[in-house]
Amino acid sequence: MDFANLASQLNAGTILPEGIVIITLLGVLIVDLILGRTSSRWIGYLAIAGLFASIVALCFQWDSTNHIFFGGAFNSDDLSIVFRGIVALSCAVTILMSIRYIEQSGAALAEFIAILLTATLGGMFLSGASELVMIFISLETLSISSYLLTGYTKRDPRSNEAALKYLLIGASSTAVFLYGVSLLYGLSGGQTELSAIGDGIAKAGAGQSLGLLIALVFVIAGIGFKISAAPFHQWTPDVYEGAPTPVIAFLSVGSKAAGFALAIRLLTVAFPLVVDEWKFVFTALAVLSMILGNVVALTQTSMKRMLAYSSIAQAGFVMLGLIAGTEAGYASMVFYLLVYLFMNLCGFTCVILFSLRTGTDQIVEYSGLYQKDSLLTLGLSISLLSLGGIPPLAGFFGKIYLFWAGWQAGLYGLVLLGLVTSVVSIYYYIRVVRMMVVKEPQEMSDAVKNYPEVRWDLPGLRPLQVGLIVTLIATTISGILSNPLFTLANNSIAHTTILQPTTVISNQVNNTTTELAEKL
Amino acid sequence: MLSTLIWVPIIGAAVIGFSPGSNSYPIRTRWIALITAGLVLLWNIFILLKFDISNPGMQLQEYLPWNENLGLSYKLGVDGLSILMLLLNSFLTWIAIYSSSEQVQRPRIFYSLILLVSGGVAGAFLTENLLLFFLFYELELIPFYLLISIWGGEKRAYAAIKFLIYTAVSGALILAAFFGMVWLTGSTSFNYDALPTQTISTTLQIILLFGIVVGFGIKIPLVPFHTWLPDAYVEASSPIAILLGGVLAKLGTYGLLRFGMGMFPQAWSILAPTLATWGAISAIYGAVTAIAQKDIKRMVAYSSIGHMGYILLASAASTRLALVGAVSQMFSHGIILAILFHLIGVVENKVGTRELDKLNGLMSPVRGLPLTSALLVIGGMASAGIPGMIGFVAEFIVFQGSFSVFPIPTLLCIASSGLTAVYFVILLNRTCFGKLDNKLAYYPKVEWSEKVPALILTIVIFFLGIQPTWLVRWSEPTTTAMLADIPTPSQVSVLSKRVGES
Repeated sequence: MDFANLASQLNAGTILPEGIVIITLLGVLIVDLILGRTSSRWIGYLAIAGLFASIVALCFQWDSTNHIFFGGAFNSDDLSIVFRGIVALSCAVTILMSIRYIEQSGAALAEFIAILLTATLGGMFLSGASELVMIFISLETLSISSYLLTGYTKRDPRSNEAALKYLLIGASSTAVFLYGVSLLYGLSGGQTELSAIGDGIAKAGAGQSLGLLIALVFVIAGIGFKISAAPFHQWTPDVYEGAPTPVIAFLSVGSKAAGFALAIRLLTVAFPLVVDEWKFVFTALAVLSMILGNVVALTQTSMKRMLAYSSIAQAGFVMLGLIAGTEAGYASMVFYLLVYLFMNLCGFTCVILFSLRTGTDQIVEYSGLYQKDSLLTLGLSISLLSLGGIPPLAGFFGKIYLFWAGWQAGLYGLVLLGLVTSVVSIYYYIRVVRMMVVKEPQEMSDAVKNYPEVRWDLPGLRPLQVGLIVTLIATTISGILSNPLFTLANNSIAHTTILQPTTVISNQVNNTTTELAEKL
Repeated sequence: MLSTLIWVPIIGAAVIGFSPGSNSYPIRTRWIALITAGLVLLWNIFILLKFDISNPGMQLQEYLPWNENLGLSYKLGVDGLSILMLLLNSFLTWIAIYSSSEQVQRPRIFYSLILLVSGGVAGAFLTENLLLFFLFYELELIPFYLLISIWGGEKRAYAAIKFLIYTAVSGALILAAFFGMVWLTGSTSFNYDALPTQTISTTLQIILLFGIVVGFGIKIPLVPFHTWLPDAYVEASSPIAILLGGVLAKLGTYGLLRFGMGMFPQAWSILAPTLATWGAISAIYGAVTAIAQKDIKRMVAYSSIGHMGYILLASAASTRLALVGAVSQMFSHGIILAILFHLIGVVENKVGTRELDKLNGLMSPVRGLPLTSALLVIGGMASAGIPGMIGFVAEFIVFQGSFSVFPIPTLLCIASSGLTAVYFVILLNRTCFGKLDNKLAYYPKVEWSEKVPALILTIVIFFLGIQPTWLVRWSEPTTTAMLADIPTPSQVSVLSKRVGES
């Protein structure tokens, strides 16, 4: 094999975005080693610049024909590009919000950013991974970095507990996932590439075998953990409460997006024979997530726990698109995750800002905030109302698209459940808005009474303000001006061969199933 | 041209909301809001003059493609069904802003929310796209929640959350029905002029129509979905109550006519007897419950339930006359409710109570509130359906039009109209007549500026009562055209048999 042929097979250009992230990561670490703490003034911007360079590099790959990297281990199709973009963008905003937060907690910023970039790297690779080992490695890269980030503020016992709990649950779910993956390898007669697995299983005639179902359920357990779908959600409230807030901002958006990317790729490519089964399992997960997430969120008193349950519920809504399994369904998932990025990060930015100034997360402590800090009130109100699906904000359009795609696919019951639980969700989102906006000056909480003067010139607060305003504007107008995002979401699905109804794989599958049927 | 009605208030809301210092200069903020609302009102009158009465279809249409993937387009148009509602909206917005206190707390958010609501309601009346309608419908949710829960009475938090949840459920039902309509017809866009809803099987039509009736029935409200209304109306401050009852309730009846009767004429005619009975029950219930109330605002709130029942009866009857009556009743109810809530606000402001047991002798010329009580008497009479005023015209057309189709529900409604007179007599007797309590009666003077809205509304009430052509001429061609799709009674029996078989 000559070198040119090898290079074309390797096709290393497809991982240029990840390459940029790695270089940024190393840059951050080395700069910190040489300069120490003094570098923390600008090291965050270096990381953000790197992430944006990576997003630009992603843009150049849009709609390229040559997107298989490393002989099939990594697929840089438009679906993966969209998800890699979401992960990178969520990391960039997370860095904006973490500069002040981490500094204030007394920990080192550069290590934090380095671990965060590693997690981003894992998430980006996971979005495009199309080979079992590659999936496992990128999943674990993401997971281990997440554990480290969760316990990063190690003087705080809650952070320690959250990290331990997250690690225990995460490690066991990884083990279950790995077991499912090893079953897949065996069932398909020794294939590790996803498309080959689909074919292999069909050839081996294991289409409806018990082994395949077990593998499916085990794999779903691993995915369900990442997207925090009930009943694999139990880590979410505790981790959200204990971990540093910027970390959970990333976990709720970046990590979840990577999980959904994995779900789409793995389920559609490796399990085309048991479509009805995995749709059934995900229907159960979606029903549970929507009900549990929305109902339990009603009773939360801590903002971070409330957002944790709300994120479980939002995962339930997104699963609607996955269950629909149509082009519109996948596109609505992508669109919802995009707007979810804006509104959730905007919400978390406000939570961070509030806790930086008052040191508390309790919902009652937000009482009367409109008088002291109107920008924070506006930002948190808009993002929570958008999460609740109030027009004309981004979340409204996202939910409408999800529900409409679900309805078109015939999921009437799920859509009705989604509508009802959205009504429930409006209640707990509006409760926070009520605290901030409605409460009279004499009902003001102690934290707000002693609210410090609003200043943006302290180190690290300016990026927080920038992040807040950018995500706030995006949440407000990306619904009304949603056409570009819609086009992006739809094209990312339409250009992705694996999601087309008439792909080679499904043809083969159809052929083999008809052959099987004839034999029987 | 029509976009102005939506966007001028919303831009006004943004200007007030984001301009610095609008909280420290409440008077200036109020003037900005008043001028914005006044401009919209003038523009609305201009549109009314441009409106071609003989044309039953959509006029002054505007179209912009918006989101093709969702089938959402910015499509506006006005016809005989919506023109009066638009006028009512901009008129009552102006009245509400005018009648709000000059010392209102937090004026910035107050006026910007009112203008936002006004723009949203105008949008809902104007749109020709189901999703866009839903968007504007849901847009009312949060502003009204805040308007009730910030500037309300004692139990405002409870009332506001109740309003919020009921309205959100109503929105969910409506959205589900809209999805069903578009999906079952296989249409790609939500524009309703292009929806062949007739092609859906009759059974499914009935199910969808039922979703729409219940969804809008919560908003109207119909018994038994009305329980949010007494709380919300009573706890809201009087300008907000004017908007809630005068404008927002009309969104429900308008939706019922436009999307219920307009889209499912066949199913509508099958369900019509049920709806007529339902309307009659609502009317009787509202009147009887109003008699039992001890709080004048609560009384008027229940009277509103009763009056909305007539509209359901008339729409169910769907004769040429009844539909004209329904639209007139929508308009007249808005005007009458506005004057009543405004005057009750004045009384509460000056006297400090709304209890029937405590109020007395307000008619007393020197120390009472003579002009206010005189206007209250007029408002009560108009509401009870005394000839010469707008309420009589509308109710009479409703009864005349419905009697031939549903005689018994119509008689029940006429009886409830009599009961309306009963509780308004109780109300007026206890508040306006009798003797003033000499120890307590040192009421502040009612300023002229506070009387202006009620005087204007009184003029409208009398003018349209004596010259009703100006009330009915706008809607007649459109409602007549809508009737063309309603099957005749013989066709209905065939249809219902088919439903029974399937």
